[in-house]
Parts: sequence; C-alpha cells; structure tokens
Amino acid sequence: MTSVELRAVAWPVVSGISAVAAAAGACGVAWRGGAPALLPISFALLAAAAAFLLDEPASEVVDVTPTGPGRRTAVRALALLVPLGVGAGLVLAFALRQTRPSWPDVGLALAGNVLLGFAIACVARRRTGEPGPVAASAVVGALIVPGLLPPVARWVHTFPASAPYPYGPPATACWWVIGGVCAAAVAASLASPRRLVR
Amino acid sequence: MTTTAAAAPAVRASTSSLSVLAWYEARRFARNPVFLAAATLTAYILWDRQRGMVADINAVTVYPAIFLGGFGMVAAFWLTQSMRRSADALDVAPTPWPVRTAAICLAAVIPLLCGGLSLLAIGVFQQVPGDWTYGSLGTSNLFAVVLSQTVLPALGGPLLGAALARWVQFPGAAAVLFLVLYGWVTLTYTLAAAHRHSTLIVMLRFFAPFAFFTNEDSPGRVETWRGSPWFFLGWQLCLCAVAVIVALLRGADPGLRTRLLRLLAGVLGLAALMYALAVVGGWGYPVMTMPGAAPVPIAG
Repeated sequence: MTSVELRAVAWPVVSGISAVAAAAGACGVAWRGGAPALLPISFALLAAAAAFLLDEPASEVVDVTPTGPGRRTAVRALALLVPLGVGAGLVLAFALRQTRPSWPDVGLALAGNVLLGFAIACVARRRTGEPGPVAASAVVGALIVPGLLPPVARWVHTFPASAPYPYGPPATACWWVIGGVCAAAVAASLASPRRLVR
Repeated sequence: MTTTAAAAPAVRASTSSLSVLAWYEARRFARNPVFLAAATLTAYILWDRQRGMVADINAVTVYPAIFLGGFGMVAAFWLTQSMRRSADALDVAPTPWPVRTAAICLAAVIPLLCGGLSLLAIGVFQQVPGDWTYGSLGTSNLFAVVLSQTVLPALGGPLLGAALARWVQFPGAAAVLFLVLYGWVTLTYTLAAAHRHSTLIVMLRFFAPFAFFTNEDSPGRVETWRGSPWFFLGWQLCLCAVAVIVALLRGADPGLRTRLLRLLAGVLGLAALMYALAVVGGWGYPVMTMPGAAPVPIAG
C-alpha cells in the first residue's frame, strides 16, 4: 500500500523543483552576502515542491477507496523527505561557511516553509484532486510578498538575520507560530469530511 | 489572380477575429485576480513611497517590474493554459492557434499601460533629495533606465508567461520561473555591488530581463555601474519579440513556422548585438556621485 501510494507522487515535479531550489540555494551559500536573499527564495521553492505532494490526477477513483485521506496523506508525507533533505544539505553547507544566523534558526525556517506548503496543499486537497499549482502559487506569494511590502517587511520576518531585527518578533517566533497553525490546519483538513466542489 | 481575390477576405476575416479575440483576452486579463492583485500592490507601493523622500531610486522602480512583470507573467501563463484546458472545444473552431496566441500577446497591452502609468506616477510624484540620487546618468540615459525598469518588464513578463504556457504543460512553471528570475536578478545585483569593475559580472547582470544601473552604497553616496541603458532597452525589446515568436511557433502551419523561424533567427542575432553593446557601452568604469560634488571614478 505504501509503495503504491508513494508511486503516485508527482516525483518529476517534486524533484525538479527541489533541484532548482538546490541550485538557487547553492549560489546563495557560495557567495557571501547572497544567502539572506537567495536562501529564502530557495526555501520558497522547496515549499512549492511540497505543495505538489498531494496531487492525484485520479482523485475521483482514489477518493472512494477504503483507504482514508489520513492514511494517504501520511504516506505521501514521507515524500517531504526530498525537499527537507535538499534543504538540510543547504543548511549544512551554510553552517560550514557562516556562523550567523545560527543553523538551528535557519533549519527552523526551512521546516516552517516546507510545512506551510504542505499544509496549504492539505487544505486545498479537500476541494480539488490536484491542489499543487494553486497551493504552490499561494505559498510562493505568501512567502515572497510580505518581504516586498515595506510596512509588512518591517514587522514580519521569514528568514533569521545575523543581527536582531529592530522591529517585530524574530523569525524563529514567527515560524513557531506558523508551524503550529499549519499543524492544526493539516489535522483539521484530515479530520473533517472531504468536501469536493465539482 | 483568383487566389489573391480569395485570400483578401480570408485575411480580413483573420484580422477581424484577432481584434475581437484580443479585446476578449484583454478583458480577461484585466479581470484576472493575480493581475488585479499586482496592479493594487503596485499602486499601493508607489503611493507609500511618494509620501516620503527616497534616496535610492531603485527602491521605487523595482516594484512595477516585480508586480506587473512577475505577477503579470503568472496571470498570462494561467490565461494561456486555460486555453489548453478547453482545447477540445477550441480545436473545432475556425480560428487557428497562432491567432489565439497572438490575441493573448496583444492583451499584454493592459499591463503595459499600467507600467506606463507607474512611470508617469514616479516621474510626477516621487520626491528625491537631489539629482545625485539618479547617479551619473544623463537625462537621456535616466529615461532609458526608468523605461527599462518599469515599462518594459510590465510588457515582457506577460509575453514570457504566454510563451511558457504554449510550450510547457507543468502548471506550476510560472511560479517557479518567477522565483528563478527573482533570484537571478538578486544574485547579479549582489555580485555587481561586490565586484563593480568585473566585465564578467556586467555580462551576468545584463543576461536578465531586468537590471539595476545604480546602487546606493551608503547614505548620500550613489554608484553608477557600467553598461549602456539604451542598448539594454534594445535587448529587452528583443527578448519581448523572442517571446512572441516562440509563443506563435506552437501550432503554426508549416509555411508560417518557416517564416517565424527565420524571423526568430534574425531577432536572436539582433538580441546578441544589443546585449554586447549594452555590456561594452556606457561608462567604462563605475563612478560615485555625492551631493554637491562632481562624479568620481571608483578605484578598482
């Protein structure tokens, strides 16, 4: 059952986006000064990769099988190891080259990004069999746009900085909160009955 | 003679259907939620910036490029892909695919107009501490820079989105490409700030649909980097033309395909020339501009 469900994951998409993320992140790690700009972009790409994990083109058939959404989602969540593994490699490389921000903070940001992408996909999966495109666009927008809007960027930080931010809570606090909300959203999306809009 | 007489009404009918489709696609584009969000965010940022003095003009001109160009690309991609989803119905219609694609490309006039309005708003309302904010660019070059940073991306982004959607089926391609381009421009900007004299970095900086020409080194000190803004504008226009031709190539009949391929070869040659001239043109070295002082070359 596990192998069958895992075979249904859109591996080319997930690994392709993860590879692009690895390239972007590697550039950020290789050039000092590039990490604060390129690692968040790389993490956003990994979040987008995670958003494609639940895509099921045959959802109309699969959704009426006895295997529940909780079980299917749990099995597919194993594929999160791909974006998380790529991100862990980047965090490790970053930690070997730079000491600030600390690697646990950067790692938390990575986990938060990937979890956010997965959680949006879980919620969107209740309404469509292939939530990937919408969820990926939503997570990219949610991660990139706040940094572009000066009033928001002053208060909301999605990537840890070398020195404390003058305004707003640190990125780690932000990711603990977002992570908690995401975990609750995933649990809620699996607990309540699925509502498909056709 | 008979062929010519028969071809004339066909051309008229094709032109007529193109204009009708273009108008329809323009309305779809203007109502697209992603594009509406992009236009709203652009308007908000420009309004927020003009409330105060901005020492680094890049902090204003970059936003129309990101929102109208980047988000416009995503909107155009989705609109074009929606055409693919209704292919079964469209395939039996008498309008060929290239005409439909051309209509979507013409709809890029909507973001182009928004880009033009952004440029106008920046020119009229944005306050700067002094002429030194614009670096050592003359009036002509400054005009080329703001045109290339606000108006051209608003046109090129949606055209790129349309071309991408005609050739790539993966529905998340636009979001991924947006992040890749954003990362590439950020990377080249970071590198250019660190290696101002390097010709290789100038080449990397211009190998993109968007480039910075100035940088606020520290408060009151603005660097002007190497490169020709006008030729970079020419490079961007060539990229727009390439996007349109590549979009039209998909589904073109053999005759049209041959003509488009010849045109593509010509435009690519012109793009290479523009790119080379953009790299070697302009200032031969970076210069620093400060309030009340003449521009000085930056030591290598």
